[in-house]
Amino acid sequence: MDRRAFLAAGAAAAAAGTAGCRSLFETRSARSPPLVDDRPDAVYVPTHTEGMSMVGTAEAGDYRVALTYSFPHRFWTVDVDRANKVEIQGSDSAHLMGTVWDPETGTVVPNSSVEATVTRDGETVVDRELWPMLSQNMGVHAGDNVGLDGDGTYEVTYDVGPLSARTTGAFAGKFGERESATFTLEFEQSTLRDLPFERLTDREGDPGAVDPMDMEMLPVAQLPEPGGMPGTALATGESGDAQFVVVRTDPPTGVESDGSYLAVSARTPYNRYPLPFMALSATLTRDGESAFEGALQPTFDPELGYHYGAAADLRDGDDLRLVVDGAPQLARHEGYETAFLAFEPMDLTLSSGP
Amino acid sequence: MPASRSLSRRDFVKAAVAIGGGAALSACQQRESPALPQGPDDPAYATRQHAWNDALPTDEHGNDVPPRHHVVRLLDYQGEGTPTADERETVETALRSLERAYPRSHEVEDGNAVGLLFTVGYAPAYFERFDADLPESVDLPEPEPLAPFENPTPDRPDVAVHLASDYGSVVLAAEEALVGERESVNGVEMAVSLDGILADADLDDDGRARRTGFIGPGLPAENQDVQGIPDSEPVDEDAPLFMGFESGFSGSQATEDRVTIEEGPFAGGTTQHLSAIELSLDQWYEQDSRFHREATMFCPAHAEEGAIEGTGENLGASNQVGDCADDVASDARETGKVGHAQKLARAREDGMPRILRRDFDSTDGGRASVHFLALQSGIGEFVATREAMNGTDAASEGAVGQRTNNGILQYMSVERRGNYLLPPREHRALPGPRP
Repeated sequence: MDRRAFLAAGAAAAAAGTAGCRSLFETRSARSPPLVDDRPDAVYVPTHTEGMSMVGTAEAGDYRVALTYSFPHRFWTVDVDRANKVEIQGSDSAHLMGTVWDPETGTVVPNSSVEATVTRDGETVVDRELWPMLSQNMGVHAGDNVGLDGDGTYEVTYDVGPLSARTTGAFAGKFGERESATFTLEFEQSTLRDLPFERLTDREGDPGAVDPMDMEMLPVAQLPEPGGMPGTALATGESGDAQFVVVRTDPPTGVESDGSYLAVSARTPYNRYPLPFMALSATLTRDGESAFEGALQPTFDPELGYHYGAAADLRDGDDLRLVVDGAPQLARHEGYETAFLAFEPMDLTLSSGP
Repeated sequence: MPASRSLSRRDFVKAAVAIGGGAALSACQQRESPALPQGPDDPAYATRQHAWNDALPTDEHGNDVPPRHHVVRLLDYQGEGTPTADERETVETALRSLERAYPRSHEVEDGNAVGLLFTVGYAPAYFERFDADLPESVDLPEPEPLAPFENPTPDRPDVAVHLASDYGSVVLAAEEALVGERESVNGVEMAVSLDGILADADLDDDGRARRTGFIGPGLPAENQDVQGIPDSEPVDEDAPLFMGFESGFSGSQATEDRVTIEEGPFAGGTTQHLSAIELSLDQWYEQDSRFHREATMFCPAHAEEGAIEGTGENLGASNQVGDCADDVASDARETGKVGHAQKLARAREDGMPRILRRDFDSTDGGRASVHFLALQSGIGEFVATREAMNGTDAASEGAVGQRTNNGILQYMSVERRGNYLLPPREHRALPGPRP
């Protein structure tokens, strides 16, 4: 009998004979309530919130990495400007997550590549690149539903990076290597059953978002309010239910420029999570003449956070057109899957005044 | 294709190739029993070891059809110092025995099938035992990581023997005969074997000295009960490879001329890169959309236009990504995906591909994987091709990740890399660096 046949037989026996497994299945469907009807094309309150279990954190080169997990849940990947729903598979036993941040500043790295390898007694159980994801209570992280071989001790290795975004300021030259962190996961189905789970029946489907989870040991990738951004905030645009804060600063280390620097901080409404994996371009016009035109480069900076930037001379009164060339290609948890897909160009007039 | 193969028999033969050994062989032969003629008494084949194409069947579109079963044996030279003239003669005699035993191809009901094709290659490590260096006309560096996100173990055996046939039993018998575990094959006596001169290589990180695999419709579907493929058995019966699509379109293959070393003592030879790549296709088959699979394997335009039917056999002799090769940057920005074939098309020189793929899928170690075997005039040609595939430029645009949505990088993990020189036939037996 091969491994799979054995597992299949074991699962059949368990389903017939033990209450533990049955209640797990019940838990799974109870914890995946039907989606609300008529979801708005905007960020909305999901059907429920859920907790997670923290396994630990570890240093990996320039990064600090956390391993957390929850029960499997539906999510959506993005095909161009369409959300592609990923259903929970029968073999899925947990939603495995990785959060990566800079230990010196606590800044979450929102677009790192995280490859997960899960082994048990030396046998590989899971080996895959985790999806870059966005959820309302966790913000940006890497995650996927995975199938484990039941309760037991697993070794989980996260291979992280290198970062493909430009790094600037104190981050210049960092995050350029692939690094590795290994965790021991004592997996128990009962832990999943005990995780907090709350239905949001009164609010589900309403425009809005649940608050970021208060996560001990884990930073959340929240960006400052427009007024709290470094430099001078010159405008805020809205499109596709995302917000785009336009900031003028001195060029950070790593950007060649004699003049000023244009940073566009793209974020979710309500929770101000950064929106990575987007293609953004800008046209700056002054007195009818073009002062800048081109793509904004995805950039990771300790003060500006993850943003899209270019060397450009910005002045009060300039007209700035922002165009989202490509929607953020990160997987979405419930409540984000209908937003940030279709964007109208934004025409803004820059002003440093109050 | 050989006639009358039932599915269960093909499955059985593939399993036998993966397991190897005398017991596997006898069981395999009982089931497969091809009525193969013997090879010529005095095999006077072309100087290019890699000149296989004239022995391969072609499909209705004119694509060369690779042999279905493959084994690569990685071997170490057992002697002290440098090989002797006697040892060279022994190796050459053993190789000639194999050539006398099996035809390169033979006629079957509906065309021709491959009897036995093989090459013998030598790693940079092999040449270190000589005082002289390889000539500059040979571009053969030690294997290195070829992407910022990979960390492969270098394979550093002395020798790589690649055996291929449309019959699993032939591959098995040939390798057994070569290593001295069998005295005759297909009714032809082995004059000598490599025993005592070459033996299974001792590789870093417990690397496998024996790599096995298959390519062709039916074989991946029948062998999908392995790690890396979801339990739902998603691999299509028509698919020649685990990922479900055709490859080896003649339009994406370098010609044998293009990959041949032109100058110096190894003129007529070529270089071979062999990597071991693990596949993780749970997401590919259970989470990704068909649109995503088409867009990232070929290019977003193909997916938008619905240009690909089934495995892509309708594309004919070309994957037709030439037109979207220039769109990598704009596709990266606007669709958030770039295609594997699309990126590779950029590596062409004067419109011509630079590498000749002879890769195959594998279940070695119970894991879905690819033994990516490619031939090129110098390893630099492979490196340039792989660089185009990395799509680092696409990732810098923002929407495409370093591995996610960046061709098929997300589903592959390069575990090992090795580089080899395939000398011209006259120098295929334990050559020095300046033969």
